[in-house]
Amino acid sequence: MTRRTTIGQLPGRLRCLLYCVVASTLPLLAIAEEIVTSSPLAIVVHKDTAVDDLTMTELRSIFLADRQFWEDRARIILLVRAPKSDERDFVLNRIYDMSEAEFRQYWVAKMFRAEVPRGPKIVFSNDMTLDLVVAIPGSISFIPADKVTDEVKVVRVDGALPTDEGYPLK
Amino acid sequence: MHSGPEFSAIGFADVNYISADGTEPDGFVLGQAVAHLVASLDESLTVFGEFSATARDSEYSFEVERLIVKYDFSDRFKLSAGRYHTPIGYWNSAFHHGAWLQTTTSRPEMVKFGSKILPIHFVGVLLEGNLPSGDLGLEYKAGLGNGRHANIARAGDAGDINGDKAWMMQLLAKPRNVTGLNAGIGFYSDEVTLPDSPNVRESTFSAYAVWGNDSPEFIFEYIHSMHELVTDSSIEGDVDAWYAQFAYRLKGKQRAWKPYVRLEQTRVDDNDPLLGAEGLDYDGGILGVRWDFNPYAALKAEYRNEEFDNGGRENNFRVQVAIVLTNL
Repeated sequence: MTRRTTIGQLPGRLRCLLYCVVASTLPLLAIAEEIVTSSPLAIVVHKDTAVDDLTMTELRSIFLADRQFWEDRARIILLVRAPKSDERDFVLNRIYDMSEAEFRQYWVAKMFRAEVPRGPKIVFSNDMTLDLVVAIPGSISFIPADKVTDEVKVVRVDGALPTDEGYPLK
Repeated sequence: MHSGPEFSAIGFADVNYISADGTEPDGFVLGQAVAHLVASLDESLTVFGEFSATARDSEYSFEVERLIVKYDFSDRFKLSAGRYHTPIGYWNSAFHHGAWLQTTTSRPEMVKFGSKILPIHFVGVLLEGNLPSGDLGLEYKAGLGNGRHANIARAGDAGDINGDKAWMMQLLAKPRNVTGLNAGIGFYSDEVTLPDSPNVRESTFSAYAVWGNDSPEFIFEYIHSMHELVTDSSIEGDVDAWYAQFAYRLKGKQRAWKPYVRLEQTRVDDNDPLLGAEGLDYDGGILGVRWDFNPYAALKAEYRNEEFDNGGRENNFRVQVAIVLTNL
């Protein structure tokens, strides 16, 4: 049997429904909501981590767990704020480019594919973020720049610090 | 710093109602209940297990879907051993048995559970990792395993049926600057031993392209398999199978809704020495909508129009509730 089928040969009702569904979704497109924070978001790592500067692309790769090790082969431990915080919303919007639902599905799928041993560690406040970044070698997270202390290292993103012009996480 | 083993679990389940114009009566069907367990034993050593229970006519069948012991040396080298979903194409290793993960109610025909078109599982070792490729985001997978069992829908769980090992390679790209784009090519080779038949050499080429964002989601996958008798290469046949799926999650207040369509086709040469007698030709089109009424649950309604090789054309309508149990 070597018969070939094209879309045009599909049953008429199915073909019509297919076109209708695609067409009906187009007017419902909306512009994504822009999320801003009062202070630029600083990317912070454990003091001993051998990294000072990351490109935005590298940062995305780390937050997506496509990259899971630092240059010194220490495992990267990602800390992410729990839902319903401005910092999390900002990161989902600017780094992940995902909605809350897409973010959840991304990590469930990532674990299910055996690509990561665990999802990101969830933290519930900026203070908790700082405490854990100080305590866990290899950790990386984000906090408002005005909350940063000397106990953690702030990483440049695309060569800029949070106070610089052109910092991408403002 | 590693304070000791960490354990995590994810559960999946689905319940379906199927109404078809074939000979099967309409009714409710319990889908698979799936448990995915992960034990992170230290910074580099992880054990993944996936176990399913599937409702049959008179009992449940329990299956070890995957059991993988994995050691991560670095981003470039991750070595594992165990039972896998064969990394051929995209769907087979992307969605596994979690109906909630996939947009549609079921898998494409060519990678459905129990498919003979592709070796769904394999038992062996797998090396995978990132390649130095900058923003192109190249990754590789290379595997060596037992290949198909005499029942070609199953892997050689208890040992290889012949001395010829299956091997596979896959090269994929996830460009760092393009969220959601994923494309790959792969090759799989095995020698299949059937009861009372000469061995068959199987070579499968696969290619896929995925735009994995929800708005839109696009998945296209194609496989081409060549089968020939080891003792007489003039007896050979080919398999071509593909599907294309498009979905779009609506925006704003309607974002819980995600309409989708999928077209698919499978063609097997009648003289194919491995699959020619199986009656696997297939044409299908599905149209449906997914409603994520809860962050951890989805309702899907789907119309399907399918033509099977030996069963004629069939229309059916399915409703599925799919859930995920997770603390993520």
